[in-house]
Amino acid sequence: MATSAKKIFELFVSKVPWTLSSKEMKEYFGQFGQVKKCLLPFDKETGFHRGFCWIGYTSEEGLQNALQKYPHTLEGATLQVQRNRKVFVGQKTNKEVPEES
Amino acid sequence: MAALLRSARLLKCLPSGLLQTKGTIRNGPPLSRLYSGAIGGKGTGVCPRQLVPGPCSVHRCLWPYAGLRHYAVIPEQKGPAKDESSLGVRSKQAQQFDWALAKLDSSVRRTGRVTKTLLMRIFHDICRTGYPSGNQALLLLRSCGSLLPEVPMAERSELARHIWDKLKELGASYDASHYNALVKVFLQNEFKFSPNEFLAKMEAAGVQPNRVTYQRLIAAYCNAGDIEGASTILGFMKSKDLPITEAVFNSLVTGHARADDMESAVSILSVMKGAGIEPGPDTYVALLNAYAERGDMEKIRQTLETAGSTDISLMDRDLMQVVFSLAKAGYHQHVPSIVDLMRHERGYVPDAMNLCLSLITQGHEDTAFSVLKTFPTLQQENESGDSNNLGNFFLRHCVNMNKPVEKLARYCQELQDSNCHAAPLQFTLYCCLEAKNTATALELMKIMKEQGQPIRPHFFWPLLMQHVKDRNTVGVMEVMKGMQELGVPADVETLSNYILPAFPNVAVARDTFKEMGFSQGSEGLLSSEVRFEAASGNLSRLLAMLSDPSFSALDLSNFRSSLISGFRMSDDVGTMTKITDLLYKDERFSLGTTSPAEGVSYFLYNLIDSMSEAEVQAQEEKLRQYFNQLKSMNIVIPVNIYRGIRNLLDSYHVPELIKDVLALLDGKDALNLSDRASRANGLGLERKLAELKAEGKPVGPTLKQLILSLCSEEKLDAALELKSQHAADMATGGYAALIHLCCRHNNVDEALKLKGELSHKDPSVSLDSTKSIALVKALVKHDRMEEAVDLLKEMKEKDVSVVDTAVTLLFHTLNAAALKGDVAAVRQLQATVFTLGLTKPTANLCSPLITAHLQTKDLSGALDAAMECQKQYGHLPRIHDVICGLVENGDTELLQKAMDFVSQERGEMTMLYNLFFAFMQTGRHREARKIIETPGLRARAGRLQWYAEKCVAANQMESLESLVEMTAKLFECDRDEMYHYLLRLCKNTNDWRKAEATWTKMQEENVIPRERTLRLLADILRSNGQEVPFEVPEVWYEQAAATETQPDTKTAESSSFKSASSHSATEGNTSTDLQLKLLILCKRGKAKEAYSELKNMDRKGEALGPSPYSALIRALLAEGNMEDALEVQKIATTHIPHFKLNDIANSLLIITQAKKNLTKDALATLKSMLQADQVPSKLSITRLVQSLGSHGDIAGIQDVEALMKGLGNPLNLSPMMFVNNTAIARIKNGDLDSAVEGLEAIYTSAGEGSQPASMAFVFRKVLEEKNITALDKLSAMAERLANHFASYGPASDLFIQLMDAGMKEEAKFMLARCSAVAEQREALVSYMSRLSRTPGQVGKIKALMSVIPDFAEKDTIYSCLVKSYALDNDLASAKALYQQMQSEGVEADELCLKRLAKLYKSAGESVPFTEPPESFKFYAEKLKEKSNKSQLNTAVVE
Repeated sequence: MATSAKKIFELFVSKVPWTLSSKEMKEYFGQFGQVKKCLLPFDKETGFHRGFCWIGYTSEEGLQNALQKYPHTLEGATLQVQRNRKVFVGQKTNKEVPEES
Repeated sequence: MAALLRSARLLKCLPSGLLQTKGTIRNGPPLSRLYSGAIGGKGTGVCPRQLVPGPCSVHRCLWPYAGLRHYAVIPEQKGPAKDESSLGVRSKQAQQFDWALAKLDSSVRRTGRVTKTLLMRIFHDICRTGYPSGNQALLLLRSCGSLLPEVPMAERSELARHIWDKLKELGASYDASHYNALVKVFLQNEFKFSPNEFLAKMEAAGVQPNRVTYQRLIAAYCNAGDIEGASTILGFMKSKDLPITEAVFNSLVTGHARADDMESAVSILSVMKGAGIEPGPDTYVALLNAYAERGDMEKIRQTLETAGSTDISLMDRDLMQVVFSLAKAGYHQHVPSIVDLMRHERGYVPDAMNLCLSLITQGHEDTAFSVLKTFPTLQQENESGDSNNLGNFFLRHCVNMNKPVEKLARYCQELQDSNCHAAPLQFTLYCCLEAKNTATALELMKIMKEQGQPIRPHFFWPLLMQHVKDRNTVGVMEVMKGMQELGVPADVETLSNYILPAFPNVAVARDTFKEMGFSQGSEGLLSSEVRFEAASGNLSRLLAMLSDPSFSALDLSNFRSSLISGFRMSDDVGTMTKITDLLYKDERFSLGTTSPAEGVSYFLYNLIDSMSEAEVQAQEEKLRQYFNQLKSMNIVIPVNIYRGIRNLLDSYHVPELIKDVLALLDGKDALNLSDRASRANGLGLERKLAELKAEGKPVGPTLKQLILSLCSEEKLDAALELKSQHAADMATGGYAALIHLCCRHNNVDEALKLKGELSHKDPSVSLDSTKSIALVKALVKHDRMEEAVDLLKEMKEKDVSVVDTAVTLLFHTLNAAALKGDVAAVRQLQATVFTLGLTKPTANLCSPLITAHLQTKDLSGALDAAMECQKQYGHLPRIHDVICGLVENGDTELLQKAMDFVSQERGEMTMLYNLFFAFMQTGRHREARKIIETPGLRARAGRLQWYAEKCVAANQMESLESLVEMTAKLFECDRDEMYHYLLRLCKNTNDWRKAEATWTKMQEENVIPRERTLRLLADILRSNGQEVPFEVPEVWYEQAAATETQPDTKTAESSSFKSASSHSATEGNTSTDLQLKLLILCKRGKAKEAYSELKNMDRKGEALGPSPYSALIRALLAEGNMEDALEVQKIATTHIPHFKLNDIANSLLIITQAKKNLTKDALATLKSMLQADQVPSKLSITRLVQSLGSHGDIAGIQDVEALMKGLGNPLNLSPMMFVNNTAIARIKNGDLDSAVEGLEAIYTSAGEGSQPASMAFVFRKVLEEKNITALDKLSAMAERLANHFASYGPASDLFIQLMDAGMKEEAKFMLARCSAVAEQREALVSYMSRLSRTPGQVGKIKALMSVIPDFAEKDTIYSCLVKSYALDNDLASAKALYQQMQSEGVEADELCLKRLAKLYKSAGESVPFTEPPESFKFYAEKLKEKSNKSQLNTAVVE
């Protein structure tokens, strides 16, 4: 339904160290292309993020640039980066749009 | 002392020696032991003196890596169908133990330790179920010692005592094994207690101490240096004629040393030798510890040398005890030289980790750190390229133990400098944050900042989190102060999510900040205010704020969701438009990379997306105005956003709004609205075709049927006769059956002749694999090798696919030749089969070649053949037999060759196991022991099982005993499993003495028996008329089976009552007897009887403990007898003021109340349960909600739903249950429209791919009540959902319910209106397979087939039908079906054939095909695996 209209070029990034926030993620992934969306969900119970993140590019090109680089090392940690296969989480399950900073 | 030792009977540590242990020592009055008050009232069970931080005696193999493998204790329920709830109650306990065991096991297995959290969780769960079993108690008690290295010793002992008291209160009964476990834990925790008092308590409780108890009490005295005390116990042992084991001597070494008499300590070793016991590794460890406590490195070195020269190898784990002793005695400086001696065996790391943790816990973190530094840095290059993180566990525990920051910083620095850890400070900080240790965290961040590492606002969130939850503004301010000192101002996110919520409102926060002199908050506060105003729907104030030119830039994403919720609640369309316009035009709100216009477009999409269908429908007019005003403001959205919104609106059923959004589109875009094309229906045509086909009537089938029946009667001649009469009409099937019959009758010539005729008739036809191989077998039997090989080649040419049964047959063919010793024939056949690739070479198929060699006593040839198989096919068949032969013959040269080969091909471990088993097999136990003690060897459960099973089957007790004994220290060996083998053999030989000795041995080794082990042991003892010295776990399923067969029940009952009554006769009617009697009656499902018994007792004024009352209440409720249950509760309350029903009983009460239509009461029960922190069962909630539904009590359902949401641990309830029952309630109340609306909303709002669960329940209820109006409405809804929304769930649910209710015509009509139902393959197949699980459902399957002939693959349908026929025992129909399958060319899978074969056999007929040889389960699993695989494949393709 809504998916067809929403062509988003998304990465799924895991193994994000706890010291990084979405600001750092956005900055880092911004070097490959224009980042439209950066979602790093935090656990409201613990105050830590969950270690994974979605990066949405405005174009296929940004996505491809990011996918071509290996490894992605940020502050000494190696991020695991792959093309996002699932529908964006905010879309169906989470009716509330997360605030991004 | 020495005299005492000598006069006592000695026991060598050999299993055979154990046999002399007297079996009479535990004969005490059993009943009084089961349920009487006993030791362990708080502070009385043991005598706590002050805790002396004295020397310790760490015992070898604390809890050996006892493989407590997860093991299904409960086999599938096979008894009569009983009420679900009562069965659930009975099985729950066993399941729980299983679960807890698996949980603890995996922890111990991975790490050699258990965390306190895990232990407490399991304890809590066990308590909650109400009636803890004996081995649950044992499991918990055993875990309170050195398995908790992270917990201080005093706390561990306290925990053990708490568990002991609590479980006792709950009715656990303790036997010797529990007392032994308790002493063990006390020893491990260096807990000071009086062994004499302990003994007295034990005896008072009627539990006889055994050898292990005495051993451990001696150890307790010895640890305190009390040789006097130890001698007293030795005296007891002597008087009871108990053997003195090595363990006793080892304790004495410690004892003398602690009494400061090293000379005597050393002399124990020679006393041992004099008594015929060789000092073992533990003896040397005791001595080493003694020297360590004195810091005498010279002696330690000497002792190690002595041990080495006497062939005693000390393991790393032993040396770690020495390290521990050194550290505790304050000789840190000597630790490194011991650590250097370690060999880093397998399992070193977990052991060393536990050593470090213990050291840290005891305040020796510096020593721990020096051990840590010796860890092998294997992780240097792990494949994922992750950076090193050695020492995480160390840092975390230091943080948890509140070690000073300076130390933490130093450890971090060293770890980083030595390249062990990439970011130790960050990790330590993480641990501090996790532990909410604000002070240390802030200190650490200061250090990190000095090192130039970034400190970010979100570092403080975990700290703030807790304060926000507690609304603790002081705590928040403290963290904020820290943030300021670190120069990290709180950003918007931190302020609005983690700081402001702690304050009552923004103003208070602002004031507080000012007071504290924080300037940092102002900007963040502003955006927090924006969010606040937006979220509270105060749009005009928001507009004023935003449009103020002095307002600083703030990206929309900062307050998007707040704005959305504001828009959703506001009616002020004018302001909404103005705000939107502002966002659309003002660059200040799009700091990100997106343009303002784009941001606003997404905002619109998100707005609609965040609203529910009902909301959009309700606000349709408002939204229309909003869109229209946006249009007038010249706001434009891109086409993809339009599409997204359109789809949303479409799915919300407000298509009228779409054109208003369309107006916002950039004019020219033309859109292709794709209609939901109705699927072409090709079904009709196909059906017609099938019917036409059935018109023709050829003779062939009848002839074939006749031939087949003659064949099945083994009438070869008659069949051949018939064939020659009707040669022209013969079909392939007939020939095949005839050939097969000829093979069975060993008539090879006739078979070949028939085959010739067949291929003359139709050269393309080929026999199936089973029949071909059968022919091959016959040929080989007659030594007609050439023809056999030709036939195999022909199979290949004709591309016959070889089924598993044929492979088995092939093995028999080869093996028959092998047993004749015909090496050449075997080789030729094997080579042909494998080179042709007819089947894959398996170990089984390769083995005949070796068999043939062994048959001719040609060991060298056998070895060569086995090696050849390995090289060619990767299998090493019968290598055990070959190696055994070589060992037997003493052919060292060939043996070396074999070992080298195995080692090279299969690895050293396999080679060692092979050699081990060969030595065991040939009775060379000394050599075997050497092998199994090879450092680094670990348990291979499969191999051990293989050998143990061999021993059990061949009745080799000695060999099995040696195996069990030798593997005691084998890494990861599942000890319970090993002892279980031993007990099984005891059972076979009916040797109760050995069984009892085994039990003592298990206690000595600290093995926690699984329930099945205990049951087996009890069984052996009982059948020999022996007392069972422990509580036997309940075997509910056997009893359930027993009640089915009446005669059995009687005998079982009378015997058990006899035992119960005989006890009461001898000991009088004590209350414990009565308790037991009640419990037995309850467990036997004789609640009524138990009830009247209880009333009798109550009249006599006798009171009982809580557990029998509780059991009786449960039993009564399980029978639905609520009145009596409540009466029992009343009686219980008069005796026990705070008596409460436990979870199970309350759940049962809810079910009963719901059944009796007392829904209000049931709801009240649920509420009181939740208040008491109890968890209801899933079934009780389901029943309650159903009952509420059928009463039309919508509020009640909502109540329950809310209550369940509030429950911390959800029962995994399906949300559909509430939805369905709400619908039922609405229908009941006559409010059909909202019922339909509610259901429809569920289906339309669900996304693609996430179909909500079934609403079949609603349809079924409506059909049952014949509520035609409701049915019409609901079916209209289902069809609407299917035809317009592609949501086929409800339609197929309805269709299936109609079919199930026998309303075939209605179902057909429905199919006509809604043809897509026929394509809901999954739903239909699952319905069919559900049907095939209960007898008498063939009609329904047939009906389904007649309505939708091709709803599934033929083989699926047929196999279900076969299953149904098998259940109905309908051989005739099954036969007909099988023929139909053959004529249609549908291949029957093995499970199908197996079912057919069973039908034939149970009707006393011979099976006309080869029955698949394996079990049902085997084939069922094979099929499952196959379907899983194919699913996986499709998943990959997708």
